[in-house]
Amino acid sequence: MAGAGSSGRSIGRTTLISHSEEGYLKKTSLRSVTITSNNAAESGVPEQADPHPTLEEKLSAGDVSSDVRSDLEEDDACVQAAASGVVLQHEYHVLFSCSFGVPVLYFRVFDLEGRSLCLEQVWDIVRRNSRMRLQQSPWNTITQQEHPMLGQPFFVLHPCKTEEFMGPVVRAAEAENRKVNYVVTWLSVVGPLVGLELALSYSTLLQPALCPQ
Amino acid sequence: MADDKDVLRDVWFGRIPTCFALYQDEVTEKEAEPFYLLLPRVSYLTLVTDKVKKHFLKAVKPEDVEEMWFEYEGTPLKWHYPIGVLFDLHALNTALPWSITVHFKNFPERDLLHCLSNSVIEAHFMSCIKEADALKHKSQVINDMQKKDHKQLWMGLQNDKFDQFWAMNRKLMEYPTEEGGFRYIPFRIYQTMSDRPFIQKLFRPASPEGHTHTLGDLLKEMYPAAIAHDGDAKKYQVLIQGIEPLLETPLQWLSEHLSHPDNFLHVCILPVPTD
Repeated sequence: MAGAGSSGRSIGRTTLISHSEEGYLKKTSLRSVTITSNNAAESGVPEQADPHPTLEEKLSAGDVSSDVRSDLEEDDACVQAAASGVVLQHEYHVLFSCSFGVPVLYFRVFDLEGRSLCLEQVWDIVRRNSRMRLQQSPWNTITQQEHPMLGQPFFVLHPCKTEEFMGPVVRAAEAENRKVNYVVTWLSVVGPLVGLELALSYSTLLQPALCPQ
Repeated sequence: MADDKDVLRDVWFGRIPTCFALYQDEVTEKEAEPFYLLLPRVSYLTLVTDKVKKHFLKAVKPEDVEEMWFEYEGTPLKWHYPIGVLFDLHALNTALPWSITVHFKNFPERDLLHCLSNSVIEAHFMSCIKEADALKHKSQVINDMQKKDHKQLWMGLQNDKFDQFWAMNRKLMEYPTEEGGFRYIPFRIYQTMSDRPFIQKLFRPASPEGHTHTLGDLLKEMYPAAIAHDGDAKKYQVLIQGIEPLLETPLQWLSEHLSHPDNFLHVCILPVPTD
């Protein structure tokens, strides 16, 4: 079940991208999400003049391009835009951090004109998606970082606590002589925080992958 | 050794003479004089350019001011790279001062990270230090430090206080005597000739048999084209902190002495300029 503030089905395609011998998993999906206006003052960030209309303003001005609408209908995804909802393109990449020895989730979110969401808007979505509060320490939260292979800005869920919550899962499985797919398990925990829902088929159909050492 | 400690100071106090000029299309009736500044190699653009911002805000209409960003010869400059790395990568073989263009509009969303406050720089800096320690010590040293120790590392950089910084950083440069060095060496290799922003992989300071790995060994593994074979003309310059260390230099020594405050060895590979 999608978290509060989002509605409609996710249209997604997962592809494996290979770049020399290192690759990454990539998934894009279109979803309708409710966006609140920029809360720059609340988050203690110095106010900047915002010259761009908010996504809400653009939608109410009828700015969603009609050919995208018809694509959605063709796919029979029937994305139901909520009253103040906006259709956004989400792009998720899973990369492996050799420094921390764990997978890392990179993501970015665009409106249909290709303009990316700012950090405050992403935090807003995450806050409403997460049932537990993300810790306030900057290392555990979502920050904007450079994608190590593409060199472009992405949002990243910092990996340094991954071992803390994955360790017990892996050890419990080993104790019960049960196989665990590390990436699917990890993604089922962190994915929903950023709006990435995994279909149950990921768990039932995939061969368990080797756990990282 | 007394000499080695001097290297730490030379690295910390390295400066690049820079000339900032406002982007022509953003100039209004008020003339904007260029602004000259000595930039610390080991710091970050957005941390040391408050004076630049103040100076040019006088020449721009307030309604035209968005997030300030910098560009060199058409390339947006990534503030999250150390200043010395940006210079070595883009402008090393050009005449000083380094000429940087200042923008207040049309922030390049696809190229640059946003930097709306110093806490963003601090978070980035500490994140690099944490990653470096994950490689060097499996995060044991950084995790044993208290919050105030982490703060001291940041304040040392922010306020240009060598002693304050190194009082803490020396702990991150230690290793168990029986190990002979760090677990892995934190490094990034940059080149302008590739789409990929940098090369970063696991690499040990010594072989399993105990042979000390050198800068040459690192390059042989990560970027073999950078090493000229006997008889061939040198095609690439390999730069760390603006100098070309001998390829025979032990990697462990380079990591301890020529790293940036973020604890990473930043290596720039440039094609040899053809005059």
